[in-house]
Amino acid sequence: MTDAVTTPVTIPARMPLTPLGDPAAAACEGDFCAVPGHHEQAVVNHRLDEDPL
Amino acid sequence: MTHASTSPIKVDIWSDVQCPWCYIGKRKFEAGAAAFGGVVEIEYHSFELAPDTPVDFDGSPVDYLSQRKGMPVEQVTLMLANVTGIAASVGLDYDYDHVHQTNTVKAHELIHYAKSEGRQLEMKERLLKAYFVDGRHVGRIEDLADLAAEIGLDRAEAVRVLTDETYLADVKGDVAQAVAYGIQGVPFFVIDGTYGVSGAQDATTFTKVLEQVRTEREAIK
Repeated sequence: MTDAVTTPVTIPARMPLTPLGDPAAAACEGDFCAVPGHHEQAVVNHRLDEDPL
Repeated sequence: MTHASTSPIKVDIWSDVQCPWCYIGKRKFEAGAAAFGGVVEIEYHSFELAPDTPVDFDGSPVDYLSQRKGMPVEQVTLMLANVTGIAASVGLDYDYDHVHQTNTVKAHELIHYAKSEGRQLEMKERLLKAYFVDGRHVGRIEDLADLAAEIGLDRAEAVRVLTDETYLADVKGDVAQAVAYGIQGVPFFVIDGTYGVSGAQDATTFTKVLEQVRTEREAIK
């Protein structure tokens, strides 16, 4: 008898997808979630817009 | 006959509960789908970014990332500040000072339980908000049961299914499916079982992909 923890998972066959969109869009891989450069610039621009110099 | 142009476009989304880009990407996708205007059917799938994370990590997200990745605290702090700023741009008030870094497998099990009750989208949204905005713990069974009850699910049943790991195999099945698709990061959107869109794309990108699917369906009618 097996329980949910030990039940082997059947890995489906490779299913190709057609990639769309910006390949540099922000995503998390592993435990790291990088901030792409264009996002960092957007944050800087947003802060400059809000800064009542 | 294949798809009618009026039938829903299925969007399968792989995502983790403690993934900042997943919540931001969710908002962007929702905006893109709203602009598209057609009927979209969404199903969330589990993806564990850090399955070895303890349920009760003793420290902040800054501590976690600096320890795990060996990054200087100042760099991690700046990175999280940038993510917080981007979240704010889509109306999300991230509060990293009160985030509880944890293991998300139980949260994923809860999402599957909610799906079985027809409440998956509500549960997903509640968990993301609980983690990033409300400073709630999303790794412990009792805390998760409270969140389930808040969207109207049976609290006692939530405790039971999480304790019994009723939906753990479904979580692992989602992860296996992600491997089959070659998914390495999240959020990841599989649209109409054909197109793969990775990351927190601009809303207009999602709109264009949905429009492309609709156009292709109409062409083969």
